[in-house]
Amino acid sequence: MKVNVLFFGATADLVGSRAFETSLPETSVAADVISLLRAKYPNLRDRKLLVAVNEQYVGENTRLSNGDQLAVFTPVSGG
Amino acid sequence: MDFFELTTDPIDITSVSRRVVPLECGATVTLDGYVRKFTKDRETLHLVYEAYEPMALKEGQKLIEQAKKDFEISHVAIVHRLGKLEIGETSIVISVAAPHRKAAFAACEWLIRELKRTVPIWKKEVFADGEVWVEGDAADIKTA
Repeated sequence: MKVNVLFFGATADLVGSRAFETSLPETSVAADVISLLRAKYPNLRDRKLLVAVNEQYVGENTRLSNGDQLAVFTPVSGG
Repeated sequence: MDFFELTTDPIDITSVSRRVVPLECGATVTLDGYVRKFTKDRETLHLVYEAYEPMALKEGQKLIEQAKKDFEISHVAIVHRLGKLEIGETSIVISVAAPHRKAAFAACEWLIRELKRTVPIWKKEVFADGEVWVEGDAADIKTA
């Protein structure tokens, strides 16, 4: 399956991109994407990362579906 | 009548608070959050706010709905500014209208605390000698 991954703020700077599409095995969960990202971008390894799927916060064991839009970001700091 | 908005324009505080004044209300508590020049001894030049806009709008609406369940309040208005903000410019306005002031104060404090924890907006502080994306604490975020 294919999912789209979005980055914001610190993660966009650390990854050097704001979005990309990636292919994943059919049974992938949110944590698999985090693992892939930490492997590909070592500067994400010591960062706390949150994941949203289709604009909702999800836990790390949430199953992904083809076409999902993920967002991976550091703890928010608005206000 | 409730609203959560994002804008890159300067925020007019009075117009935000006056958009939520129903007849049964006797008090509106308005938080005006603005850009601080000094954080401890470090001098900020300006801030940059960025949002995951569609999700921020959803999370903001959820906060308003929850506040209206948990507090005896009538209406909530929240406007958060995005983009580059200079020292002293308003980054957020939260206005809570209620029949009585006590619930409005409590709800306003709860709303800003929760917004800083859950609404996907990030702040970059730009200093004379560098810049940093501020990281919140993100404790106990509810996940699907």
